[in-house]
Amino acid sequence: MSNQLTAFERADGRWGLRNHVLILPLHSALSATARKIADESDGAVAVSHDWSGEVDADFDRIIKTFSGFAANPNNYAVVFITIGTPGELLIIDTAKKLGINKAEILNVAELGSMGKIADAGLKIANSLLKELKTQTRISAPWSALALGQECGGSDALSGITANPALGVASDRLVELGSASVLGETTEILGAEHLLAARAITPEIGAQIIETVARYERSINYEGIDMRGAQPSRGNIEGGLTTLEEKSLGAAKKAGSAQFSGVLEYADQVPKSGLYFMDTPGHDTEQLTGFAAGGINLVVFTTGRGTPTGSAIMPTIKVATNTTMATAIPDLIDLNAGTIADGAKTLSEVGGELFDLILEVANGKLTKAERGLHHEFSLSRMYNTVIK
Amino acid sequence: MSMNGFDHGNRGIGVRDHQLILPSVVCSTRVSSRIAKEIGAITFAHQHGCGFIGNDVGRITDYFAALANHPNVSSTLVVGLGCETIQGKELADKLLAKNKSTNYLVTQESGGVQGTVDTGVAAAKALQAFYQPTPVVLPRLHLGIDLSNDDLKVDEIVAALTNVGVDVTVAASHKNSGLNFSDLMEAGVHVILSFPDGNQPASGFPLIPTINVASNSPLHLALSDDFDLSAGATSEEIMEKIYLVINGELTKVEVIGAGEIIAGREVRSV
Repeated sequence: MSNQLTAFERADGRWGLRNHVLILPLHSALSATARKIADESDGAVAVSHDWSGEVDADFDRIIKTFSGFAANPNNYAVVFITIGTPGELLIIDTAKKLGINKAEILNVAELGSMGKIADAGLKIANSLLKELKTQTRISAPWSALALGQECGGSDALSGITANPALGVASDRLVELGSASVLGETTEILGAEHLLAARAITPEIGAQIIETVARYERSINYEGIDMRGAQPSRGNIEGGLTTLEEKSLGAAKKAGSAQFSGVLEYADQVPKSGLYFMDTPGHDTEQLTGFAAGGINLVVFTTGRGTPTGSAIMPTIKVATNTTMATAIPDLIDLNAGTIADGAKTLSEVGGELFDLILEVANGKLTKAERGLHHEFSLSRMYNTVIK
Repeated sequence: MSMNGFDHGNRGIGVRDHQLILPSVVCSTRVSSRIAKEIGAITFAHQHGCGFIGNDVGRITDYFAALANHPNVSSTLVVGLGCETIQGKELADKLLAKNKSTNYLVTQESGGVQGTVDTGVAAAKALQAFYQPTPVVLPRLHLGIDLSNDDLKVDEIVAALTNVGVDVTVAASHKNSGLNFSDLMEAGVHVILSFPDGNQPASGFPLIPTINVASNSPLHLALSDDFDLSAGATSEEIMEKIYLVINGELTKVEVIGAGEIIAGREVRSV
């Protein structure tokens, strides 16, 4: 196998590992039309969401999420569908500033109806899909790859098999010059001191500690003890006993490299180095935040098995145990349970995962991509009920 | 005028006969949509079911129960993932206590995506075959009004409807139609009459036919094709449209197939 990374070069010097045409509805009522366009097209993708342009305490976070998602380098083009409110126009402007390869804007108020949007959108999507075929992958530097680390449905083997295997692959990528990002603040609670000790400066270490403390304060403020809600019931059934145990295992995803910085939710990820991003443990909110930060490939370890993916980021599923990998094979790209079975060593499986990351980066489709798993969730910090 | 309905047992008499494929978590929305597409049922994308704490656990569970027990629903198939906060089986048990026309399955125990789609299609077909709706006359209409447009007064139309024996619930606590729709769904309304804010497009709720009435705002005038009624519609015209929709005419939003839902939440996502 060739060890060369290939990718699609963008005009602003960034790199896409995929060439998507994304149909992005900027109002929840436009979601059905966006889905219809994607379904009827020759391969465009769309997401659905429940934001209706509310200007509330979460406004900035939502603008950042949508604009970053649109500007992800895996998008060859974005077809924005908008009713033209100031918030929606702000999303388009911000996305363009972040760097968007190609943008088309369909304004419902100008075209006159959803039906006309659907017709116009389909025509544009198919013409973009035809046009992008002329672009080919070329050799790319390792800094073209930004890896997101995710775990969901963890079990007692997560911290022994799949997560450390991802750590091995992440360390190799960071050494080669890629970016790699650990997220899920909930799931490093109790392990933050170990991560902070690996920061390149004491200030960054203190930032890691403070990010976790801030997270816990925001939950305590609601009068709730986070440690009562985590580990989740599914995790407990999978053999985890405490949040600390879950966190110690989850942190293994980040290998042993040094942390170069701390990112807020959906912050743009620098080109190289290991980072920590403050995201919720909710898998699709976390994946959406990663995509908005410009991450272009995700490795998702799972003990219980979960089908979710992303409309624009290839998502590799790694099983922590052979029982699940065998029972639900159409979700799993690689079984790291072989480590616990004694069939393979950690460094062997870490190497297999590194090779798979390269293959997927170079175009091999993941199971979640083939199954068209395009889940999308907005992360909200404030309540939507009480005014 | 007579109103056609469907007898849905303990759910009550509805004006639509929808089979609901209910994903109990965002992770099973794709599997649910594949099942729904194959058998012509209704489902929707949502982002709930996991990663929430405190009051929201009970709140979202009750919300899902209200969806599944809505009078416009003939039967419900709950599709869970397995490790989520709201456990599909517990939700289904809660629903079954009220309506036997409920079943559930869990992806992590049904052989993955394809296995769950296959099992789900079979289970949904069995529900369809066993719970054939009985066409009946709707004895009393429960109408919901979404008043996101708070510049508007609806006293006249409410009075006209009440006069002919219609129960009316008005939801006006939010500027966001989506949240008002959710409140009206939980109140069990058969049909929604929506007066969206002038800066909002026509929209709807998946299980409940939603009639959109335009205002004279520039956006609504530009989008007049997406509204069922224009700004000048009289009480008589509104009532006539309601009766047509009850008796089977599809609303504009039903034709488009809109289907996003938003359940209100109190606590940040975790």
